[in-house]
Parts: sequence; structure tokens; C-alpha cells
Amino acid sequence: METAELKQQVKEQIIHFLNLTTVKPEDIKDDEPLFGEGLGLDSIDSIELIVLLSREYGINIQDPKEGRKILTDVNTMVAYIEKNRTK
Amino acid sequence: MSRIIITGMGLISAIGNSVAENRESLQLERSGIDHIKFYKTSYAGRLPTAEVKHSTEDLNKKIFGEPNLSITRTSLLALHASDEAIRDSGLTAEQLASTDTALVGATTVGGMCLTDEIFHDALAKDHGTPYLSSYDYASVTMAIQTRYRIMGEVSTINTACSSSANAILFGARLIQNGYAKRAIVGGAESLAKFTINGFNALNILSSKACAPFDRDRNGLNLGEGAAFLVLEREEDCRDKKNYAILRGYGNKNDAYHPSSSSPEGDGPYLSMKDALKNSGLRAEEIGYINAHGTGTENNDETESRAMIRLFENVPAFSSTKSYTGHTLGAAGAVEAVYSILNLVNQEVYPSLSFKNPIVETGLVPVRTYAKQEIIHVMSNSFGFGGNCSTLIFSKT
Amino acid sequence: MPYFHQSACISPQLSFPEADLTQFRTSLNNLLNVVEPDYPGIPAGVKRRMGKSVRMAVGAALPLLEKQPQPDGMIIATANGGMEDCIKFLNQIIEYNEGLLTPASFVQSTSNAAAAQIALVTKNHQYNITHVHRGLAFENALMDVVMSLKENPDAAYLLGCTDEISAYNYNIDSLAGWFRKEPVSNYDLFTTSAEGTIPGEGSFMVWVNNQREGSIARLDDVRTIHTEDPAIILHVFKKFLSENFAEGEMPDLLLTGENGDNRLLKYYEVAESAIQDNVPVARFKHLCGEYCTASSFACWLSFQMLKDGNIPSILLKKNTSSKPVQRILIYNNYRGAQHAFVLVSVA
Repeated sequence: METAELKQQVKEQIIHFLNLTTVKPEDIKDDEPLFGEGLGLDSIDSIELIVLLSREYGINIQDPKEGRKILTDVNTMVAYIEKNRTK
Repeated sequence: MSRIIITGMGLISAIGNSVAENRESLQLERSGIDHIKFYKTSYAGRLPTAEVKHSTEDLNKKIFGEPNLSITRTSLLALHASDEAIRDSGLTAEQLASTDTALVGATTVGGMCLTDEIFHDALAKDHGTPYLSSYDYASVTMAIQTRYRIMGEVSTINTACSSSANAILFGARLIQNGYAKRAIVGGAESLAKFTINGFNALNILSSKACAPFDRDRNGLNLGEGAAFLVLEREEDCRDKKNYAILRGYGNKNDAYHPSSSSPEGDGPYLSMKDALKNSGLRAEEIGYINAHGTGTENNDETESRAMIRLFENVPAFSSTKSYTGHTLGAAGAVEAVYSILNLVNQEVYPSLSFKNPIVETGLVPVRTYAKQEIIHVMSNSFGFGGNCSTLIFSKT
Repeated sequence: MPYFHQSACISPQLSFPEADLTQFRTSLNNLLNVVEPDYPGIPAGVKRRMGKSVRMAVGAALPLLEKQPQPDGMIIATANGGMEDCIKFLNQIIEYNEGLLTPASFVQSTSNAAAAQIALVTKNHQYNITHVHRGLAFENALMDVVMSLKENPDAAYLLGCTDEISAYNYNIDSLAGWFRKEPVSNYDLFTTSAEGTIPGEGSFMVWVNNQREGSIARLDDVRTIHTEDPAIILHVFKKFLSENFAEGEMPDLLLTGENGDNRLLKYYEVAESAIQDNVPVARFKHLCGEYCTASSFACWLSFQMLKDGNIPSILLKKNTSSKPVQRILIYNNYRGAQHAFVLVSVA
């Protein structure tokens, strides 16, 4: 899958998984912080996204703190997925 | 307003089937945290918990003789503890049947320990299991109401980990405001896939025995248990044993996040302050604190900060969850009994598994069992949803 | 004495944001569901996590909290709040065989989620409690507010409740025989004799303090009892009447929780036998359905009647009166085992 396509897919998955009913994929910028400002996600969301990475891409992140670094923004998330996906 | 006296106690936990057995374990520093032996879950062998060391069948037989087929483990634990408390207090049949005896229970799991049964009944089109009316939180309190035909005011509280602390303070207030002359109050909790998986999904379960307030702590262990107390007005119990006085209580909300505490421990700080004000005591009069101390990174640090904020010199404190695990809805009541044992026996119990203090706060809990003169004990319970409650007990 | 001020009620009828007691909705498929509003006051980032019962609770609370300063406490009742999220989480446990699970529905499934969310969105640090005692949860919350106002006479509290029809809970209660097996309209509940009723849902929030000025009603008394013996109900009801009414005096209305379940009629018959024959009797569960905190809907209806002074004919079971309605006695029971008497009066 092309990177651009994967980015679009990941945005759709974030929206669906976290039930962000008022957000569209085009509202999420690739380099916009997912946590704190930007999309404003919190600690429960970071756990949910770690589960997403496991279920959709077969990536298992053991340490939630490491997970937060990977989940900085869509760019870092997608780069990590491309490198580590097993599905 | 009448002073509230505790005249009876009942308790079952991972460290004993009665108040006396629990006390012995506390003195001998004998923890109940171990691998899961009774409950069927894929986490058996991976996550230590503090189970009550009896099968549900045994608990059922002991209370009912002929097994009661629609009662859950949580309710059985509640009955075991409330039976002991009621016997201990010497409440007469007439008193139990009167409309001025109140009952306040608490639980966060209720009958949802029966995952397979509730799943079946949630979807089946016919042939429900015998547990159809045993899943909700009220069913635990109702098991006691039915057994003793309690005709006074009855309530059930669920405020997560502070549930039974709130049950105790609600029962006390029913008495102080004239809705009751005596109250049977407490809570019960049993292991459930629901809570094992829920807490695990939040990454706050430890794969080792929990180490409250330790620098290297990494989570809590779930525990089971039930504890009930009998509260009476001072003027009504002069001719029976008075274990302790419920001197004061506090209830405040952290209002920070659904499942973690604010960095400075606002809710805990406000709850402790509220209880001190309610009891008319100054902070320096507290001789010992039974802390909430779950062993999670978040709770223990924020609770420490709250204690440092409130107390110029933080008194002796420890977490008995290092013995019993976190008994969730029962924790407030279990630890209330332990706080009363501190006063009756003038002793303190250690925080097991503690090695090094949290770097940022430097607090060191009690490390070994010891005799200590104490007049006032504070017991804290802080739950999800920011629900923080504090009870203060005083020596009679 | 506790006085009720501004209130909000989300129900299967046209009650939110304002009451419209001229048009009424009908049940569908033996269910009385609420029509949820959009909840513009709940930020999207917070709303996305909320189950229906939490949404309804927060949605009803926000309009009250916009107008008033911070309450000195939040006293909430819910028996089944969060059940839907509980079973959603159990679904995950079973689907993924206790593997890697997402925690959001676990966190939202706790009964205190509604009280917690209301405190969170308003950053309220005060007294916060959740009563969950099945059919008496709301009455326990009423008792709690009575006590809180005695202890803190200058305080003001947010009191309320919420319960939803969760698909799973509905199934469990159906298997237990609590609902009508045959299709029935809510308006035919009382004219068709059968076991069972139809479920409903809703939330209710009200501001309570000791100030008479600007209030809509006064809470005079609340009592509860557990029994299945109608003779005991008669005895308790007569005692309640003697404690709250002078010799020969009666309430202007007896509002009961009759729900069409013919097994429970005997309790309502003894209650009616305890009052004089000419006292108007009304019912409310054909409008809101049966749920653990349904008596809160009766409370809300009482406020409307005390304000207008009359009883909407859709509620009336028997008798009318030319006297303005000033004292309403609500008698409700849940499954014939938990009984409550609440007396509300004009302020």
C-alpha cells in the first residue's frame, strides 16, 4: 500500500476506533499532534490506539510510554506501521 | 447529634475468614496475594490476585446448607461478613426486624462475576439461568435484606473504589438524621473477568505482588472480600462492646479524569480535609493513616502529594492492599475494619513489599508490625470517577 | 425543608428542553424510548465516550448548571446506568478471549460515570455520590439530599437520576418475565390484563436547596420499605398519611406507579383503599415506561401539575377535583418488592 493511502486508512481507523463522530479524515493533518493539543486525545485513547495497532497491523507495543512516542502524529504512526507491520 | 459507635464487625478476605483471622495475618505479615486458584480466567498463572481461599460451592454450603442456586459469589461473601458482624454486635431479632434498622451495601461488580451466565442471559431467547435477578449491584445488598428481613431504609452505593466507605458514611448519616437507630453497612466484591480484563486493559495490573508507595511499583493486584460493620448511637450501646467511634467522614470529587488522579491529588487532599473538618480534629491529631495505596504509579504518587499538602508531618501510614489486594467496592469497609483493629489493639500494620520511597515525594510507610499508641485513625478510599472518601475512627 | 427549583427531564415524552403536556408519544415495539436531543452543551470530545444513560444525565444537568453557580454536591441515582457499556466490554472479553482489549467501555460502564462526568465537565470538587439500589435508587438520593440540606442549610445540590433500556438488560428482564409478551401500546397497558409491563428510560435533574423563594415545589417526606405483603404496605401507607396530614385531610392527588402488570395491582389497590374515595388517582408509567428510577418522572410530572394546579386527563385513573392541586402523594413500587412514598407540595 502507498504511504498516502495508508495515511488515509489510518485516519479513518482513528476516527472509527475512537468514535470521533464529528471529525473527518481531511480534518486531521499529517503532522498535527494527536495528544494534548491538535486532536486532543488522552491516556485512554493512547491505550485504544495501541490496541488498534495490534488488531489491524499485528504490531504489539508492550510499553505504553513507547507507544506515546510512536503516536505523536499521523506521520510517525504511519512510518512505524510501514516498518513493523506483520499484517 | 449522637456519636456513632461501631458495635460489630465481620470480614472475609484473602487473609482470613473472620476479623480475628485477618488480624492474625496482619500481625504475622502474611499476605493473601497469590496465583489465581479458584476463578477460571486465562490470566490464572499470569496475574497475581488476592482470592478468598474458598470455592463458591463451599461458601454457599456454609451459609445455606442446601446450596442456593441463584446466589452469586459476591453475595455469598457479603452474607458471610454481615452474618459475623450481626452476631458480633448482638443485635436482637426484634431490632433486626424493626423499621429503624438500616442497611447500606456496596459493590462494583455485583453479580457480573458470572461472565458466561450474564452473556447467555443477555442474548438467549428462552431458558434463562437462575441468576436473572442476581446481576445488578442491589442484588448483593438484597441478599442481606432478605436473609434478615430488614424493614428499615436500605441502599446500595457504587462509586467505584470508594463505594463501601460511602456506604459507611451514608449509614452513619441515616442514624444522625433520624432515619434509623442503627445501621448495618459495608461492601463486597469478588473476582470477575470484567474487572481483571478492565484493569488490565488500562495497564494498571502488576504481574508481581503489588508494592504500594514503592519507587518501583508497577500496578495493583485485584482482591476479593467483604466487610460489614454495625453502627449504633452511643446512647443505645452502653451495655455492649464499643469498638471505636466513627468520628468523622469526608467526600469530595477530584474532577480531573475518569480513571486517573490529578497530579497534586486534589480530590484526595480535599476529601481528607473535609473529614478533618467534619470530625473537629486538627491534622496533627491523626496518629495513623490506612492509605488507599493501590500500588499504581498514578495513585501512590498523587496520594503522597496530597498527604504532604495536608500534613506538616505526615503521620505513620501504610497500605493494607499489600495484604488483601484491591478489593474495589469492599475496600472502604475492609480497611475500616483494619483501622478499628489499629485502635482496639494499639498497633500498626506494615506496607508489605516496600523497599524504596518514591523519588519525588520521599515518603516511607510503616515497614513492620509494631505496637503504637493511636487515638485517631484516618482511612482513605479513592476511586475512578474522581470519587474520594475519607473516614476517621477514634479510640473509645 | 428541601425546595425544588429548576429541573430538566429527558423522557419518552415531550419533556425536554421544555414540558409539552398537550401532545404525547406512543410506544413502539413495546418500548418507550427517549428521543435524544443533540446535546449541544456536551463537547464532542467528551460525548464520544458516553453511553446513552451518561449522555442523558449530562444532557439534563447542563442547562441547570449553566444558570446556577457550582452546586455543593451532586447526588445521582442509577440502577442500570452503564449496563450497556458493561456488556459491550464483556463482548470484547469473549470475542478476543481475554486478549488485548480497549478500555473505554470499561471506564464508562461504572455506575458513577454519570456523576463523574457531570463533575468533570464543571470541574466540581464537592460531595459526589451514586445510589444504585434498584427501584429505590431515586428515593435514596432524595433522602440523601434531605440529610445533606439538614447538615448544610445554606447549600444547594444537583439531584438526579438516569436509566436506559439497554438491549442486553431488556433481554435479561424479558427472560425473567417482567415484560409483556404480546404487542401492546402504552395506552392499552391498563385496559389489557396480563403479566408484565413495557420498559422505559430517561433522566431527571433538579436543583435543590432550602430556599422557598423562586422554587416550584417542596419535598415534604420520603419513606421506603421492602416487603411483598400488601397488608404491610397498607400499614406503612396509613402511618405515612397520619404523619403528614391532619385528621380528615388527604392529598389532592395520589399518583401511582401502576404499570399494567396485573401481579402488582394488589399493592395499588391497598394504597387506594387507604385514601378517601373522592381523592383523584392518577398514573404515570404509561408515559415513561417501567425502569428503576421511573418515580423521578412522577416527580417531574408533579412539578408541572403543582405549577398549573390541574391534572392532565391522560394521567387520570379516577375522580377529578375542582380544587387546585397542592399536595401530591406519589406511591410507587418496583416489581412488588420495593415500595416508596414521596410527598411533594406546592412551595
